[in-house]
Formats: sequence, C-alpha cells, structure tokens
Amino acid sequence: MAIIERPVITEGVELAPLATPSRAQGAFKRPVSATGWKSWLFTVDHKKLGIMYGVMAMFFFILGGLEAVLIRLQLAAPNGKVLSASVYNQMFTMHATTMVFLFVMPMAAAFANYFIPLQIGARDVAFPRMNAFGFWCILGAGIFINLSWFFGGAADGGWFMYAPNSGPIFSPSHGVDFWALGLQIAGIASLTGAINLIVTVLNMRAPGMSLMKMPVFTWLTLVVQFLLLFAVPVITVALFLLSFQRNFGATFFDVSAGADPLLWQHLFWIFGHPEVYILVLPSFGIISEVLPVFSKKPLFGYPFVVFSGAAIGFVGWGVWAHHMFASGLGPVSVAVFSISTMAIAIPTGVKIVNWTLTLWGGKLRFTAAMHFAIGLIVLFTIGGLSGVTHSVAPSDTQQTDTYYIVAHFHYVLFGGAVFGLFSGFYYWWPKMFGKTLNEKLGKANFWLMVIGMNMTFGPMHILGLQGQPRRMYQWTEARAGEGFFNLAFWNRIASIGSLILTLGIFLFIVNVIKTSRSKERAPLDPWDARTLEWMTSSPPKEHNFDVIPTVHHLDEFFHRKYEQDPVTHEYKQIATAEEIMADQEAHADKHIHMPSPSYWPIVLASTLPVIMIGVIYSIPVAIVGGIFLVLAMFGWALEPSTAPETDFDPPASGESTKELAPLV
Amino acid sequence: MSTKIRRIVAGVSGLAATAFLAGCAKDAPQDTWQPKGSNAKIIDDLQQPVFAIAGVIGVIVTCAVVYCIIKFRDRGQAMPEQTHGKPALEIGMTILPALILAGVGVFTFRTVFDLSKTSDTQMVVNVTGQQWWWEYDYPAQPELGITQPIITSGQRIIPVGTKVLLRETSRDVIHSYWIPALNGKRDAVPGRVHTLRLDADEPGIYAGQCTEFCGLSHANMRMETVALSKEDFAAWVANQLTNAKSPAEKTLAKEGEGVFLNQCVRCHQVNGLKKVDGTPAIAAPDENVWAGAAPNLTHLMSRNTFAGAAFDLLSKKCRADVWGASSETVGKKYLAGVGEECLNQTDLRRWLRNAPAMKPMYADPAKLTSTNGKYRGMPNLGLTEDDIDKLVAYLSTLK
Amino acid sequence: MSDVAVHEADHGTHGHTTSTGLSNNKVAMWLFLGSECLLFGGLISTYMLYRGRVSVGPRPGNVFDIPFTSVSSFILLMSSLTMVLAVSAAQNRDDRGTTLWLSVTALLGATFVGGQVYEFTAMYNEGLGFTTSLFGSSFYTLTGFHGVHVTVGIIMLMSLVGIIKRSTIPGDKAEVVELIGLYWHFVDVIWIVIFTLVYLIPA
Repeated sequence: MAIIERPVITEGVELAPLATPSRAQGAFKRPVSATGWKSWLFTVDHKKLGIMYGVMAMFFFILGGLEAVLIRLQLAAPNGKVLSASVYNQMFTMHATTMVFLFVMPMAAAFANYFIPLQIGARDVAFPRMNAFGFWCILGAGIFINLSWFFGGAADGGWFMYAPNSGPIFSPSHGVDFWALGLQIAGIASLTGAINLIVTVLNMRAPGMSLMKMPVFTWLTLVVQFLLLFAVPVITVALFLLSFQRNFGATFFDVSAGADPLLWQHLFWIFGHPEVYILVLPSFGIISEVLPVFSKKPLFGYPFVVFSGAAIGFVGWGVWAHHMFASGLGPVSVAVFSISTMAIAIPTGVKIVNWTLTLWGGKLRFTAAMHFAIGLIVLFTIGGLSGVTHSVAPSDTQQTDTYYIVAHFHYVLFGGAVFGLFSGFYYWWPKMFGKTLNEKLGKANFWLMVIGMNMTFGPMHILGLQGQPRRMYQWTEARAGEGFFNLAFWNRIASIGSLILTLGIFLFIVNVIKTSRSKERAPLDPWDARTLEWMTSSPPKEHNFDVIPTVHHLDEFFHRKYEQDPVTHEYKQIATAEEIMADQEAHADKHIHMPSPSYWPIVLASTLPVIMIGVIYSIPVAIVGGIFLVLAMFGWALEPSTAPETDFDPPASGESTKELAPLV
Repeated sequence: MSTKIRRIVAGVSGLAATAFLAGCAKDAPQDTWQPKGSNAKIIDDLQQPVFAIAGVIGVIVTCAVVYCIIKFRDRGQAMPEQTHGKPALEIGMTILPALILAGVGVFTFRTVFDLSKTSDTQMVVNVTGQQWWWEYDYPAQPELGITQPIITSGQRIIPVGTKVLLRETSRDVIHSYWIPALNGKRDAVPGRVHTLRLDADEPGIYAGQCTEFCGLSHANMRMETVALSKEDFAAWVANQLTNAKSPAEKTLAKEGEGVFLNQCVRCHQVNGLKKVDGTPAIAAPDENVWAGAAPNLTHLMSRNTFAGAAFDLLSKKCRADVWGASSETVGKKYLAGVGEECLNQTDLRRWLRNAPAMKPMYADPAKLTSTNGKYRGMPNLGLTEDDIDKLVAYLSTLK
Repeated sequence: MSDVAVHEADHGTHGHTTSTGLSNNKVAMWLFLGSECLLFGGLISTYMLYRGRVSVGPRPGNVFDIPFTSVSSFILLMSSLTMVLAVSAAQNRDDRGTTLWLSVTALLGATFVGGQVYEFTAMYNEGLGFTTSLFGSSFYTLTGFHGVHVTVGIIMLMSLVGIIKRSTIPGDKAEVVELIGLYWHFVDVIWIVIFTLVYLIPA
C-alpha cells in the first residue's frame, strides 16, 4: 500500500562507507533508483517487500472475495442460474486456491517480512535477495494461476484436487495444469521464504534476545516457517506426480493402470493439514501482540503460548487422515487419527485460555485492533469447537463434505486467520506508514465484518447438519425441507450475509484511502506498545535501528518506558518513546552495511512462469526459459550482495544517498 | 460476575440455543440429526453429548470474554500487575480439556469399532458409482428370494430391519454414498471396494446425495434408499426377476420399442428385449460411455426418480402422496410404481429431447478427444417429437 | 536453489556474529537439506507403493543390472571422499588442491550420471518406458529426480572451479566449498537409501 508518503529522514546518522568485497561481477550495473517504480522492482528491503506482499495479497483477497460473492449469489435461490455448473466448479476451486495460497499465506508473509527483523532487532533478513525472489515468485504464481481463466477455463477439481477427477480425462481443460504448475512456483516462494526467515530468527537476534525473550508473533511465525519447510516438499511431490500424469503421460493416478487414488489424498493432506496451521498461527501471533498492548499486561503464560504453538506444529503432522474419515481407511487408522485430532485441540485450547486470562485484570482499551483480536478469540473458539465435533470420527462421517465443514473452516480461517490479519492492519498501520487508520471507520469495519461473517457462515452449520452437501452448483427444493426456517431460508440469509461482509471489507479499503489522504501523522508510539518494532521511527528507516538494541527483558520496549517502584510495586513511566528514540539517534552506529538492490531476483523469478507455460504448451519454450533460469542463477551467484560504489548505473557520485532514501 | 450480566448472558445463550433448534427445517430429507437406522443412531448417541459439551464450552468462553470486556474496561485504573502467568492455573487449564477429550476419545474409539462390525450382515448389495448416478447390483441371495442377480439404479430397495452390507466401488472418479438417516458416508473409490453397513427401522424413502466432488454434475448425483416391509420386499424382488414384456403389436408403445432398439439400446439394457430378428438385444455401454455402464431400464417405472435420482418420474401430486405416506402405507404405494396418470411427462420428455440441457454432462462429441469420443453422461439424441411420444409410451410399459 | 543460498555470502557473515554462532549460509543449507528429505521421502513412498504394480512391461527384478549399478554407486560414494579432500584443501587455502579435488568429484559424479543414462537406455530397450507401468513411472521419477540433483551438484562444482580459478569468489571460499560439500554428501546418502530400497530389496 504504497500510497502514503514517507518523509526523508537523514539527520542523526552518518553515511556509512559501503563494504567493497571484490570487483563487480554482475552482468548488469546495479539498479540505483531510490524513488519511483524501479526502487520497488529491484528492492531487497524487507519492509518494501513486506508492503508489496501486502498489496498483492489484498488484491487477491478482493479477487477471491468476488469469487465468493458469485458463489453465494448462485446459491441464494434453488436451481441458481448465475453460473453454469462448469464455471461454478472453477469458481469454488479458485476461491479456495486464491484465499489460501494468494491471500492468507502472502499476507502472513507480509507481516512476517516486515516485522520479524524489527521485532528481533535486526536490520534486514538473512538473505535479502532471496526475500525479493520469493515475492516475485508468489506474484508470478498468482498471475500464472489466474491466467487459466483466459486460456480455456480455470482448474475445476476443488482446491484439494482429488485424483482421479483431476486427471486429463476428467478435467480436459488446461486449468489443472495452470493450477499445479502455478502452485509449484508458489511452493518455491514459500520454501525460500521459510529458510530465509528461520535463519533470520535463529541467527540475527539482537544481543540479549534469547529465544524465550522473543515476541510471540516472531515465535509463532517461526513455527509456521518450519511447517512450511517440511510441508511444501510433500505437496511438491504430489504436484509433480499430477503434472507428470497430465503433461507427460505417466499413470500415477490412473486406476486402470493399477494406481491408488488414495495416494494423492495422503500426500495432499500430509501437506494440507499443517497448511491449516500455517494459515492460522501467524494470526495467533498477531493477536498475542495486540491483546497485551491493549490490556496493559504481558501475555498471560508466555511459555505456554510458545510451547503450545510448537506443540501444534508437531502434532499437526499426525492428524492429516482426519480429512479422510469417509474415504475407507479402516477402523484402526480412523480411531488413531480421531484421537490424535482431539489431542491437537488441547494446545489450541491453551491459547484461548491464555488470551482470555491476558484480558483478565487488565486495563482494556477497545481500539479497532483490539476489536478484531477479541473477535478472533470468540469466533475462533466457535470454529475450534465445531472442529472438535469433527474429530469424533463417526460424527464426522455425517458432517464431512457438508456445509457444516464449510461453516467450521470459515470460522477458523475467517474468524481466526482473517480477523487476526485485520487486527494486525490496525495495530501496525501507523508503524508501516506513519499514519493511524481511522478508528471510527475501523470499528464500523469490524462490526460489519462480524455481522456479515456470522450471517454468512453461521447458517451453514444448520445447512450442513440438515444435509446440504458442499461443492454443489445448485441445490434443490426437494431436499430443502419444510417450514419457514428451511434450507432455502438459511441459504438466502448466508447470501445476504456475504454482501454485508463485502461491505465491511469495502469500508476497510475506504479507510485505507482516507488515511492515505490525511495529513495527520501518527505519534511515535500510538498504542503504548511493548516490543522492539516500536522502538524506531514510523515508518522505520531503511536500516531499521540507528543502534541495535541490547535486550534484557521480554517486552523490552515496555521495560525501557516503565519501571516498577520497589516499595509500592506500582509502575511509573521513566521515559517516553520520543526520549528513547532521541537517545538512540544520539548513539547511532557509524557503519551500517545495507544490502544493495538487485535485478536478479525479479529476473530469476520471471523465468519460472515461462518454463511452466512451456511445459503446458510447448517444450522448446520451457527449455529457453530453463536456459534463462540458469543464466540468471549465475548472474545472481556472481553478484556480491552489497555492491561497491562503482557498480551503480549511473555510478553514485560522492556520498551515496542510496542508504537513507525515502520509501516512496 | 454481577447478576445482571449473568442474566443477560443466560438469556442470550438460551435464546441462541432456542433459535438454533427452532431455526432448523422440519423434515429436511437429509437431516443428520434424525437417525432412522441402528448405525445412524449409534452415531447420533455419540454426537449429541459432544455437541452439548462443545456448546457449553463455547458459552463459557464467550461469557468469560464478555465479562472481561465489561469488567476490565479502561476506566483510568492504575497500571495492572505485570503478571506473566500462573503455572498451576495454566497446567490445570491444560489438563481439564485433556480429560474432557480423553472421555470423548474413549467413546469415539468404541463407536468406531462398533460401526465397523460386519459379521452379522444379513444381505449384500454392490453399489457402484459413476458420473453421475449409482448402480445397485444385488448378488443372488436365495434366502432373500433373490435367485438371480438384480441390477437397478437410483433407488436402492432394502427390507426393513435387515442389516445390509454395501460393497462400494466406482467406475470413474471418487463418489461418496450417503443416506444421512441410515449411516454416515463412505467413499466409493475406483479400484477399491469399501464396505458400509446400514439398516432401516421402518419402511420409508430415505434421501441421500453424492458427497465427494465428482465433476460437472456432482450436484445432480442423488440417490434414495427405500425400505420396504419383508413382504413388500419379496414382491419387489419377484417383479425385478421378471423380464420386460414386448408391447402389443400396432400400439404406440410397440413403435416406441422400435425407437428404443434404434437408439437407446446402444447403452441401456432392457432384459427380455428382442431385436426384430428375434435375437436378444444386448446393450453395449462400454463402447459408448466412458464409465462403461448406463442404467438398466427393465423396470424403470418401478422406481420413481430417474437420471441419477435427479428428477421425479412421479408428477408433483403423486410424489407427495408416495413420499409423504406413513410407514404402513408407503410400501404398497411405492410398489404400485409409476402409473400413466402419475407419470411426470414434462421432465421425462425434456430429458429425451435434450438430456445435457437438464443435467450438465460431457456429452458433446467434439469435446471428447481425451476419452476417444466416449460420452460421460447421456448425449442429446436429436429425437423427433414423434419419436419422443413413442418412447414415452414404451418406457411407461417398463414396470 | 542451493546455488541461490550458497552465494548469498555477504550479509550476516561479513563482520557480524550470529546468534547461533553458525553462519547464515550453513544454517540455510541444513534447512534446505531437511526440506529435501521430505521431497525424497514422498518420492520413495510413491515408488514403494507402486513398484509391484505392473500390468504390462518388465517387472523390477527383470530390468535391474545390480552389478552395474553397484559399481556406479561405488563411484558416487568415492566422490564423497574426494569432496572431503576438496573441503580440506579449501580450509588449508590450497587453491590448486581445491580445484583438483572439486574437478575429480565432478568427474566421478558425471560418471555416475553417465551410468544412469546408460542404465535408463538399457531399460528402455527392454521395454520399460516412463509411461509403461506404474513401476516405470515411479522408478524413473524417483531416480530421475536424484539424477537431476547430482547434475545440479556437478554444475555447482564446475562453476566453483571456474570461480576459484578466476579467484573472484565473494566471501569465505572454504565455506562455499563446504556448503556444496554438504549438498553433495546429502545426495550421496539419499542414493544409498534409494539403491537399497529400489535395487537390493526385492519387490
């Protein structure tokens, strides 16, 4: 959301001489633009990349939302005629694919990219160019997958893409090819991002910040990156098998050749279930930051929240077959996975208890961010409890593939993941853009979203329990039952709810535009926050911190502002954020090495969709793409990550202003 | 918690519960909370307490949050104690849900194995899914009067109170067989045979729907299970074992038989149908349809739905009469089949005129390169109105 | 991918200490290899599920030439030894030794890949194509993926030789050699698993 101007901050820091490791190696001169579109295209700054992740994810959120509205319009009345069966099937497939892979995951990556280095007191991530590469990959993947709409239709097998329905015979359009290959690109983005962030968190913490002094958002995002690291290769294998079948004639899911369709289900869900936690844990992290700040209390039971997050990360690997209770696994497997699924409810419950106890005895300020955070607790609890009813396998054989499931995972993913992300928007907006989102609009946004989401997804519990299956392009009155409150009524309510939800999200966009036009600057520490990311200017300078802080406490920033009176045990303020900032600027580091912008991430990433298009339509194109891929890798490998002065185009004259260039 | 708040919370949660229960449709045919067979009841007995426990926990959490919101609002109080938690409380709050879940787990474990029991099966039906209808094949079971295999589709007939084992598989993609009133669902997976046991307590028509996404017309893949009293079931079996009789010469139906031999018999079998030269007419769906099967129409009018149970063969009035019948009378009414006065001519004719327009199917020969021109579903046969008249007359004789 | 990670040399290692004491690049490589384990785990599982499923064409026992593959496996194992020598030479700042042993390693790897190409050709001539049976599809996919990994390794080794010759490697040279060494050993270990499961244990 690059609509907000950032003032140039140049005072207080001496310009550091750049490291010159060796002579220039890259085929290109370095990009030097500090402003304009080039400064975004070739940036390796984790903050700019975070913002770009956010803009991209928001775009796909709106796209996926529009797909959802079309689905609800189709289902508002029996025998809906808005969409044809074929388009409807593409619509729900792409709605899920978009929301999971192109909205929630990149939006979580946006926050992770922007705030993990800030929260751990680092100046950037471990591999800045790889970070940029990941963003261009996911953007390429999003565009690539959606191109299929214009090339004969999108994927139509559901996001779970069960074999053999995904095979070349049953889904003859190229939609599934675009989907499978596009997700491979997205997988590369996730994998590089995961490695990058894990190394960043493990290796680049500020002095004194032990693992158990890390902010919870950083902790839970770290867990997510480990989940990604191990889950992505499994889906990669599954997608390879699918693509080899569709594009090269292999028979991995061809039953007539002896294949077992359940192989896909196992591979998909071994990835797919950890994926659920990949989607929701970042939001858990966000509200674990928001609740303490607006309760003026530390997070209750920090180690329990951290370890339960890690426990979810472990147990999350042992529950995948609960997606397959109806697929004929045999009673022993069903019973075991049933029990393991119940087990994972325990660490999840621990989190809800801790959040509630964080509120308990606090001094609660109901900002928009706090609204969304508290909304998450309640809505996620509903989703979590309906999840427990699924873990009871016999009960699940009645509920699975009905709207009850749709209700359940929307409470978890919308009430959980999305509400957490919105909480993050309101909480961190002043940090990212130096302006506070309008609180009044924010609360209206919240209430419309709460009402809309409960109206949309609440009735789906009833629809599902009364037997309406999901993924049906039409429903019939013959199965809708009698009485005023029949399934027709609830379908209509859900459709109306989706419009209210849309209005709520529209208010958010209005809020963003309104805020960007406002001249009012946010205070340095608008929420009286507790963690390191607030111990810098808003938005932060390119190098984040003038001096890397030494950490002594969990909630370091709070402890720099407040001190406990040893006698009365009352807390009194000893410093303001402004004073702390001024002190930092006075002691600014003299030599700050920042990584230089580079052409290679975007060049390398752009070869991938070319290769994929070649795989679908013409192998020579793929080979050409592959050659460029190898060349780009060499260009990348031979380019030092911090450039010498002479390596700029045009060469920077005298003192480079590159380092402290404004964001926009 | 102050009494006022408590009263509000109690009121709201009571209201919510009532609204939820009152808010449900009456007689939704696929209601999962109205079990009519022993396995469905076993599931229901397990899930009702689980739903209740989940509901209570949900209300407690919500109340706690609401209480915090009201009680701890910022009223200018002093900075709260910076507590990092109380380990004893934390551990307690971890063990408590673990205990609840352990209890639920024990009952779940037992129920899973109860439901998987098949040793006391009294009858077997092979259930085969394909895009987008179900075929039922009753292997010969002389003790039930089934002296020869019976093949039917759409509606599966079972004797009441009999433990029936379904042996499910599929001819193309994964489907899922689900009659909510009788048991949970079980996927029909190509290349595998999965079993599902069910039985019905009383005669009736129990609705179901394919619940594994199976392509274009997934929404139109429905099915019913019809439970009949033992005597009615014997009558149904006896009828199914007979061959179709050729209509009398010089009737419209006889002409319809000619059209059927010309067009329909390529895929649809009618037992006892003879070609003009007197040899048996054998359908060859495997040459024309990807799944290799099409519904056997020998006793079409003994069923009251067609095209994957997506459409009614009964007119609206007659349908209400049969489907709404009491458990005592439903058997007789069902066995009467679809008489001329009850036939839903409109839908049947529309279907014969252009089937893919009523139910989306991959039936455009130009787009079937991946299946070597084989259809997935019934194509538009391009019949004339005359032919349709004749065919309807003929099909009406297939009781 | 690892190529990407390996040369991201400067930031975080140049003049900075890390929280764990391990260099960023090394941690990244270990993480990447951890992820690779799951990739090969999925491919191996697929092969194990499908290796007996042959409706047409040869069965596993009919096409494997175990003596031949044993020799090429031995060659690949030897390349791990030469890789160790390369790493040790790099740590001693012995550029000539490093390039020599890297080249030998690459040569041994190339011999292995050549053997694999020969083996695939022979199997193809015996009637086992990629699309012949599930056994064929899953066999070629698994061993093909491994072969691609070895090939990528060879390209990295050769590039490294070229870069060292021009002595233009950014950052710590010994570490880059060590990182590629980690990758190379990983690929070898995976081959031991594949060789055992695919060739030695009868279906």
